[in-house]
Amino acid sequence: MLRILFDIYKVFIIEVQRIFHDGGVILIFFVATLLYPLIFGAIYKNELVRNLPVAVVDLSRSDDSRRFIKKLDATPELNVQYECGSIAEAAKLMQQRVINGIFYFPNDYTGRLNRGETARVGLFCDMSSFLYYRSVYTGASAVLVDEMHDIQLKRYALAGMTGENAEMMVTPLPYNDVKLYSSAGGFTSFLVPALLVLVLHQTLFLGIGIMGGTARDERLTVELIPERLRGRHIMRVGIGRCLAYLGIYVPLSGIVLILIPHWFELPQVGKIGDLVLFLLPFLLSTIFFSLTVANFVSHRDSGIVCSIFFSVVLLFLSGMVWPQCNMPDFWRYFSYLFPYTPASQGFVSISSMGSALKEVDFEYSLLWIQTGVYLLAYCLTTQINNKKLSQPLYNKA
Amino acid sequence: MNYFFISIRREWQRLCCCPRYFILLSLGIVFSFVFFLTLMHEGQPEDLPIAVVDHDGSYLSRRLCHELAATQGVKVVAVYSTHAEARKAMQRQEIYAFMEIPEKAYSELLDFERPRITIYSNNAFLLAGSLSYKQLATMGKLASAAVHREILKKKGLEEEAIMGIIQPVEFDTHLVGNPTADYQPYVLTTILPGILALMVLLLTTYEVAREQKEGTAEDWVEQGGGNILTALAGKLLPYTIWFSLLGIVGNIIFFGPCHYPLQGSFGWMVLDMVLLVLAAQCMGVFLSALIPNMHMAVCVSAIYGALSFSMSGFSYPVSNMPASLQSCSYLFPLRHYYLTYAQVALYGGGLRECWTHVCWLLAFVACGFVGMLIMERQSKMER
Repeated sequence: MLRILFDIYKVFIIEVQRIFHDGGVILIFFVATLLYPLIFGAIYKNELVRNLPVAVVDLSRSDDSRRFIKKLDATPELNVQYECGSIAEAAKLMQQRVINGIFYFPNDYTGRLNRGETARVGLFCDMSSFLYYRSVYTGASAVLVDEMHDIQLKRYALAGMTGENAEMMVTPLPYNDVKLYSSAGGFTSFLVPALLVLVLHQTLFLGIGIMGGTARDERLTVELIPERLRGRHIMRVGIGRCLAYLGIYVPLSGIVLILIPHWFELPQVGKIGDLVLFLLPFLLSTIFFSLTVANFVSHRDSGIVCSIFFSVVLLFLSGMVWPQCNMPDFWRYFSYLFPYTPASQGFVSISSMGSALKEVDFEYSLLWIQTGVYLLAYCLTTQINNKKLSQPLYNKA
Repeated sequence: MNYFFISIRREWQRLCCCPRYFILLSLGIVFSFVFFLTLMHEGQPEDLPIAVVDHDGSYLSRRLCHELAATQGVKVVAVYSTHAEARKAMQRQEIYAFMEIPEKAYSELLDFERPRITIYSNNAFLLAGSLSYKQLATMGKLASAAVHREILKKKGLEEEAIMGIIQPVEFDTHLVGNPTADYQPYVLTTILPGILALMVLLLTTYEVAREQKEGTAEDWVEQGGGNILTALAGKLLPYTIWFSLLGIVGNIIFFGPCHYPLQGSFGWMVLDMVLLVLAAQCMGVFLSALIPNMHMAVCVSAIYGALSFSMSGFSYPVSNMPASLQSCSYLFPLRHYYLTYAQVALYGGGLRECWTHVCWLLAFVACGFVGMLIMERQSKMER
């Protein structure tokens, strides 16, 4: 037993020394891991797209259209900055990217309203970003609903029906809406938690990949394993190396996933205990996953390319952006290969939505399964790699 | 001119003896095209799972469920009898929204007491949450309108008059450049060129840094006849052509078989793509000249390149970022690519609208020559 612990300790020390001898790895583990969350926090600080500049083209020039415009200006989303004489003039502004939407009130706006017909308001949305569209649309529909309500009440008032009776006619079945987990519905509280988990996953993957590649580049044996530990004791090597990374990443993930969301006032309603319990298999599976992949990385810089490339792909695979139920089956199963998928979903569930550990049992058990599978895969690939190297250059630890 | 071909031949030989990196990157680009195009083949997410919490169990609630089932975009996957069950399903991410119908809703409605239904949506998921909310809210409005219409009908009004009463104003919505509000044109048109540019940046940084590391930088300039311009052009051109071709094929796929909107001319998109590739290459040269340590140079360009997705502003508008970051966004070629794309594809713009972005992209190219000068100075000093 003591022997086992000693072996693990020895591997652990070697690994720590290797980590701290490599400037690139230190840059990635410590600088990138802490810098990225801060940059993301700063980029996405403002949550919502507010006060989007829009133009109105008011050919009706009536009290009705002016009231509508005033209400548009009063929404948090929109800011009526220009009043144009014609659609062409407004379209030009839109093309110059000065405004993100146009509201067009035709000549007959008031006339139709007075005749009791449906009046039409032209709405042109800037579609260059989903968030522009969403904000223009949200602001515009809120005003539309309010304005219709007012017009209808006014008409019933003229017909002699007021108060609750008129309300009953206009909205017999009203509804409330409750936006759960992020009342503002902002971009920050949606994207940043997923990005934080991604930063941890990718820096670990990148760091370990680089170290694997470097070892190969410098023509050392893959694992710098003490001779005695090759063969059936390979598990101890895996555990020892894993502990080195775990030691670095436990405090780092505390900072990135608990302190940073706190600083940036992201939704944080989960129990710390649940979070810690959940993060453990996440770190373990990510470490073993990276160690396994690193066994295939033959050069330092290929590791970097793989990791950067997969960052974007992983974000989309995780189901945070594009809903998981709408992915083709193949990609959904493919996504389960990476610890990031269950980790990001579980983290968002616990931290942003206040789930308990048993509500994320699927993700939680998947992470443990990945831990086991990748530990075995690591041992296996290391064995194969070692056999390939006929003449180990580095056999004394 | 002769030296130029010698430089190209030299680069070709280097590539042939060590093609691994180049092949890896090209495969990565092809993979990401296949991945993104198949992942979001639906355009807008369809059949998002939602639920109904029915405390009433009446004609009204069944009718609402029916209407929801017929709504495009969402799919009722469960009907719960308690609020807690629905909340739990939401936390398990089995549903993105639910509608709660209170007890005695139907009898209250018949008594003119205005029962209130409640819509809960999951805002932790932006796209799925807001789309399913939008559908449920539309449903809520329609339900009121339907009851209103029934009452008016009973009073003997004509269908036309009823329409004017229940819908006094409506929007005639034009979604400029993307009439179906599909999600891919927002995302793919920038993210895929972004991945391409990132790969090009990494490749160039690596290739140039390798010259320095292996001490072949001098030979490189000599083969170019001592002219850094020729040497640089000879080194970069083969890659420029190859990656521009990949990017152009990508754009052909977008605007051809995928039918993404393109108001302006395709020639502009080609130019935009070539300039993006050139800018990425030259930033690679610049970074590897600034940072002589090869590993460090690749790390730094990886960090810089990965940030360009956020800073390009295609997902989150730059105008919404803090002022200091807004100015930083100009330092990323992808930002200018995206702005040119939006101008050309969505608004049919041309030179008059895009020239500033073109100038910016050319400025990145100039950085490459600055980087070359720095490298030359360094090698002279070493000598």
